[in-house]
Amino acid sequence: MRRFTENIKIAFNSLFLNKTRSFLTMLGIIIGVGSVVAMLSIGTGAQESVISSVQDIGSNLVIIQPGNPEEEEQMMGPQMMFAGDTAELGIDDVRAIERNAELVTEVGPVVIGGAVVSYLNRNTQPQIFATTENGMELYNMEIEKGKFYNRGDVSGSANVAVIGQTVIKKIFNNIDPIGKIIKLNGQNFKVIGTLESRGTDTFGNDQDNFVSIPVTTAQTKLYGSGSYDMILAQSISEEVIDEATEEIEDILRRSRNIRVGEKNDFRVRNQTQILDILSTITNIFTVVIAGIASISLLVGGIGIMNIMLVSVTERTREIGIRKAVGAKNRDILVQFLVESIVLSITGGIIGVLFAILISIILNNFTVLETSITTFPIIIALSFSTVVGLFFGIYPAMRAARLNPIDALRYE
Amino acid sequence: MKQNDLIIQIKEMKKIYRIGKIAIPALQGIDLEIKAGEFVSVMGPSGSGKSTLMNIIGALDIPTSGTYMLDMVDVGRLNDNELAVIRNKKVGFVFQTFNLLPRANVFGNVELPLIYTKDRIRNKKRKILDAIESVGLTGWIRHRPNELSGGQKQRVAIARALVNNPSIILADEPTGNLDSRTGEEIMGIFQRLKGEGKTIIIVTHEMGIARHTQKIIYIKDGIISGQEDVKEQLSAKEMLKKMPKLDDKI
Repeated sequence: MRRFTENIKIAFNSLFLNKTRSFLTMLGIIIGVGSVVAMLSIGTGAQESVISSVQDIGSNLVIIQPGNPEEEEQMMGPQMMFAGDTAELGIDDVRAIERNAELVTEVGPVVIGGAVVSYLNRNTQPQIFATTENGMELYNMEIEKGKFYNRGDVSGSANVAVIGQTVIKKIFNNIDPIGKIIKLNGQNFKVIGTLESRGTDTFGNDQDNFVSIPVTTAQTKLYGSGSYDMILAQSISEEVIDEATEEIEDILRRSRNIRVGEKNDFRVRNQTQILDILSTITNIFTVVIAGIASISLLVGGIGIMNIMLVSVTERTREIGIRKAVGAKNRDILVQFLVESIVLSITGGIIGVLFAILISIILNNFTVLETSITTFPIIIALSFSTVVGLFFGIYPAMRAARLNPIDALRYE
Repeated sequence: MKQNDLIIQIKEMKKIYRIGKIAIPALQGIDLEIKAGEFVSVMGPSGSGKSTLMNIIGALDIPTSGTYMLDMVDVGRLNDNELAVIRNKKVGFVFQTFNLLPRANVFGNVELPLIYTKDRIRNKKRKILDAIESVGLTGWIRHRPNELSGGQKQRVAIARALVNNPSIILADEPTGNLDSRTGEEIMGIFQRLKGEGKTIIIVTHEMGIARHTQKIIYIKDGIISGQEDVKEQLSAKEMLKKMPKLDDKI
């Protein structure tokens, strides 16, 4: 132990003696460890925000969409939730679920589209998210001011709208929007409520840039179509979500007269399944980027080996002196190994600090959400230790094998 | 240990260096006995084999044939690690070129052999300070070699050689890089150490230095060509009194 602390002292002394050289050598490790940890923090952050944004919507939500389930394999990313297809979902499907499902509390259809929204001379083109009165609960929307449309508004296809924060900012500009008349594709709608901000999702999309109107109004007055883009259903609890998903699938197969052996013409998916897909995507992203970053760790290791070989040559005489007063081969080996490990661990620690800094900056000044966890830090530090050990062993062995007489004579 | 015990016993020792296919005999059969407490000098022309002999005595090298007993240990049969232990505990080296670690201060340099001693050392700091004090450098503990004069550097080297209380002190041309007055001071330290019972072997090519020791061993062409006891040993103390001090002239 005493000799070990002595070795660490020697290592730091010799590193401090060649500050520039030590720093440049460490730079490889700093960049390597820094980028691995930073990339993993971006990956983890992305994953966490995917999970939380999906959970924001409601963790016991089942999503029914039109289309062939086979196609979903090819569709990855956010657009899959809003993919249109030829097989349509209609009011009969909603009614079938409402009537027959025992594990479902709420069902609500959704129509998604676009429209030019204007107030006085200002206009914008947000998303139109049309649903029923229970859509607020299904989609976890919260009213900031005013109220959400009610059953009467939906059955009467009322021209009422609830608007998100981005839309308010764009067309109202400090005016209280409640009670104002806005135009959606030229038709008058009365603003009855505003929604709490939902921020941005994982992919940087603004989740406040939308206007919500009764689904019947959207169908009859805006788009002239009887079909839905999706149906949202809420299971009675999180535990039975998979059973609820199967129940809905059975009900729809029966109500849509799909015979045994025939494929579904709709897709039913719950949160867990969506999360699985999204996790796979972010995992691949993380692994690929961390892999690329770890190459720079390798390059850093070669830099360490290079400088350690130089150091052994430079200090041949010192090695001779140490051996002459009783240092064993092992002592010299350990001394140089400790030195290269100190070099790489110091680089690793600086790299981790650097990564934390980057991750804080990204978190605060960009749309990227990052998350530093202990796992990648431990992995990166142990990896950099291994790099120091691996690339230090050859120079250290060269030093240890030096013959003391030759080493003492070395000029 | 009794004064007459043999501390070094060398019999028919040969050392042959091989460079490729050529064999270069450096020592061609040395017989040598040195008693504990003796102060001996080895003299000989360049290439005579005196450095090779010193390397083997100092456990830096092993003989090709013959035996070498140091303090009852057959050094010729030891492996690298065992040789390192001998160098650490039984031998104190003093070199012509001092061989101090440039980055360590006086304390750090003197401490060096203790770092490689396996046993737990009690009063380590005391030992180091005592060794430094015995060469008169107490005020220079925190100085680095580049802040010291040649004589001071050699004193540090002697302190380093003394710190682990070795059986023998080996000095290879210890005054070779020093002016005559400083050289005399160094010889004074050796004479004092001899008086304290240390066994000291020095290599020199200056008769004036060799005459400070008890016995001179002459080496030529890898064999001992002669030995003589020094009849009128020079006293470094007396010599220093006779030498003019620089201070007197200024």
